[in-house]
Amino acid sequence: MTSLSLWELAVGDSRDIVSVCGDTADDAVQRLIDIGFREGQQVTCVMQPGFGAPRVYAVGGATYSLDKQTANFVRIAGEPGL
Amino acid sequence: MTDVLLVGAPNSGKSALFNRLTGLKHKVANYPGITIDVGKGCLSSNPQVTLWDFPGTYSLNPVSAEEQVAIASLRSALQDPQDALVAMVLDATRLEKGLTYCLQVARDAAIAGKSFVVFLNMMDLIESDELELDVSGLSAALGVPVYPVSARTGAGMAEAESAIQQAGIGVAPWADTPDALITGTAQQIGERFAPAGDLLVRRQARLDQWLLGTVSGGLAFITIMTLFFQAIFTWAAPLMDGVEALIIVIGSTVASVMPEGVVADFINDAIFGGLGAFLVFVPLVFILTLIIGALEDSGYLARAALICHRPLSVFGLSGKSFLPLLSGVACAIPAVYAARTLSSMQERLLTYVAIPLMPCSARLPVYALLIAILIPNETALGGLIGWQGLVMSGIYFFGITTALTVAALVGRMSNEDRTGQPFILELPAYRLPVARTIVRTALNRAGHFVQKAGSVIFAVTVLVWILGYFPNSGQDLSSSWLASIGRFIEPVFSPLGLDWRYGVAIIASFLAREVFVGTLGTIFGIETADEDPAPLADQIAASGLTVASGAALVVFFTIALQCVSTVALLAREAKSARFALALMAGYLVLAWLAAFGIYQLAGALLS
Repeated sequence: MTSLSLWELAVGDSRDIVSVCGDTADDAVQRLIDIGFREGQQVTCVMQPGFGAPRVYAVGGATYSLDKQTANFVRIAGEPGL
Repeated sequence: MTDVLLVGAPNSGKSALFNRLTGLKHKVANYPGITIDVGKGCLSSNPQVTLWDFPGTYSLNPVSAEEQVAIASLRSALQDPQDALVAMVLDATRLEKGLTYCLQVARDAAIAGKSFVVFLNMMDLIESDELELDVSGLSAALGVPVYPVSARTGAGMAEAESAIQQAGIGVAPWADTPDALITGTAQQIGERFAPAGDLLVRRQARLDQWLLGTVSGGLAFITIMTLFFQAIFTWAAPLMDGVEALIIVIGSTVASVMPEGVVADFINDAIFGGLGAFLVFVPLVFILTLIIGALEDSGYLARAALICHRPLSVFGLSGKSFLPLLSGVACAIPAVYAARTLSSMQERLLTYVAIPLMPCSARLPVYALLIAILIPNETALGGLIGWQGLVMSGIYFFGITTALTVAALVGRMSNEDRTGQPFILELPAYRLPVARTIVRTALNRAGHFVQKAGSVIFAVTVLVWILGYFPNSGQDLSSSWLASIGRFIEPVFSPLGLDWRYGVAIIASFLAREVFVGTLGTIFGIETADEDPAPLADQIAASGLTVASGAALVVFFTIALQCVSTVALLAREAKSARFALALMAGYLVLAWLAAFGIYQLAGALLS
């Protein structure tokens, strides 16, 4: 199964999270897992403000803003789930 | 005697619940990371019960200084042999985000033998949106009592209070659960019990389309910030005029009934002239805090932090520095505390460098006085824009730009790698600000401002009055002891076109910036004692302060770090007295040089 970076998710689209890459000793990776970016969870891209600003994602009933570097830790399914 | 440890994820409403239960007034806001220290208070209905309000964290794995404090304090409290109940606050509208932390704490509490309950907060939003949440099912799944409450409306608080005092609540059944299992279990419970549908997320997204849109978001941010600075001056003006008129009326009445002499002169010059001149500006602080409170409560500040992330990264900061910097517009002290939420020490230090340059409320009386002296009270665009408000916006812009530029320069000089700091920020739900909460916070802040600055100003005013009144009983200020001291320091300030009176006021303002206004009020009070009482701005304008010198004063106050409390706190938070003292000395030299430059430039342009 192909996977994409979360940063590549288009506005309004939802995908299942495949994995959160990186060392859990890394604060960002640990925090992503803590707030709900976990394998199997569905994530939706809510907003893509322009000029490279952090994007807004909904996961687990809450919305978070992530910059590109952080969003790239999250791998999502290349195709929508059934 | 029982302790209740109130814990939960950021922005779950712990502090609002704490305030409801204790009757205290801890700062609350709709922005993650507002509580940065452990708060303490007694249950209002039973002083035998002590509540501890812990800063919010998403898990037991800390990633910032304030989370380290929270988790270390919680672990230490769990080991305390005293009876304690752990109360986890969950946001019912965002149930899933708090469940991992809930189960982690439930496990640690169970190992320590502490009882555990859950307060399911924000149930008013669940009910108003007709969403469904199976509270008893959630309670069964978690294996602990769950109480639905609303800290905003007060619903369910009676049951929450009796739960806290109830004996025999058991420990949670999670003592032997490893971390890996906790995460999966939390996810399953969240998926099963979280309110169905994504109504709240979709509603929030509709507003975000406007407030975070590429063009509309930038325009909205600029409009909100412009209105913010305009409103501070425009809305406060009638209140300030009212306070000023009241002080003049009371001063005239008191002067007319008192026999002439030293006591009458003291009351007239020092109390009504000095302290009165300062009190005129208290409405400004009230309005400033009111507007910041409304912005915080609405949920917009997190969006503003997102919008500012890229621009701030140019200066070596990030969107997370936005809240500490905006807090610095009210006061540097809470701003320095708010910087604890920054996970990187480098970014925290750069934020510390910028905070003292943010146009804090203590500078506001000085700016307002100088604007009233130098800028005509006229409007443009059919009354929409006031020139005085516009100049105030310009001064704020100058202060903020200076803060960011200095932070960027210091960042570049330090040569540390500033890339790679992750940006993760929860966007809270939008909501209408609660008038009662923000008015109460603004009144507290204004009261604190009067209490803190007022006592220093009174002491300085009395000293300045004694030195200015004697040895010739106020007959001639220019031959007073104060004038002798002033002339000694005059060479420092004469290159800025300022005579000894302003020099004395500037020196006095190193105790607190607001002292500048009170000191000038006292000096001019003694000088114009034989004339009818008039606003301080009119007295100074009549004395012939030039535009160039006024501009130099504004620039000096924009940069100089004249706040002993801020320097002391910076030394503590940065763990370096040298850093704080270097900042103070550096900003003093920079302030004088910039003021000298602007005095020369304005002088050349105006001549």
